[in-house]
Amino acid sequence: MYPYEGMFLVDPVQHGADSDAVEGTVKGLLEKHGAKIQQFETWDERKLAYEIKGHRRGIYLLAHFEMPGDAVDALHADCKLTESILRQMLVRLEDDIPTYLEKSAHYYEKMRSELDVRRTGRREEGQDELGRDEALPIIE
Amino acid sequence: MARERRDKKRDKKKFKRFKQRSCRFTRLGVEFIDWKDVQTLQRLCTGQGKILGRKRSGNSARFQRKVEAAIKRARYMALMPYVGT
Repeated sequence: MYPYEGMFLVDPVQHGADSDAVEGTVKGLLEKHGAKIQQFETWDERKLAYEIKGHRRGIYLLAHFEMPGDAVDALHADCKLTESILRQMLVRLEDDIPTYLEKSAHYYEKMRSELDVRRTGRREEGQDELGRDEALPIIE
Repeated sequence: MARERRDKKRDKKKFKRFKQRSCRFTRLGVEFIDWKDVQTLQRLCTGQGKILGRKRSGNSARFQRKVEAAIKRARYMALMPYVGT
């Protein structure tokens, strides 16, 4: 069993019609291959950077799970056969899932604070979000 | 005379544009680059969607490799474009 992160791009039309069915299909596929789902989330519908199978918009499902390594190929094959899944990405994680989620939270905290610094144009220690000078020009 | 001054001005501009002290990821002390973090990855691409070089982005070799991998994953999932709009 290895920790994996899986992202599934699903058809927004089918998801809109019956979101539980589509999410159930994805979860069912994962469980079929012996995955233990630890976290599952649905992203908002968003515009795709390019057209995939005639779709300009899509919904992303993100799952963190543990699965035996030899099931990866079979899962990819099954995803390809499922019509509601447009594309999938499986990434093996280096850490176990709780550690990964922790690191991920840390990562986003850091990166977003970096963005704030860029936006306000200067860095000031000891100042929180409210103490920041909003009148500074936006650097972009 | 005029040309000289213009060249100087341009050189100065160029220098300013490329100036960055250190790798932002090293400075922030992050361990990896999340390929789902489009907001960050977009800053490391040109408007056309090309990946910025190390000279331009100031990334360390270690993080430049991670950035490349992350952008390529994001492209596959249509989170980012292969080629500009």
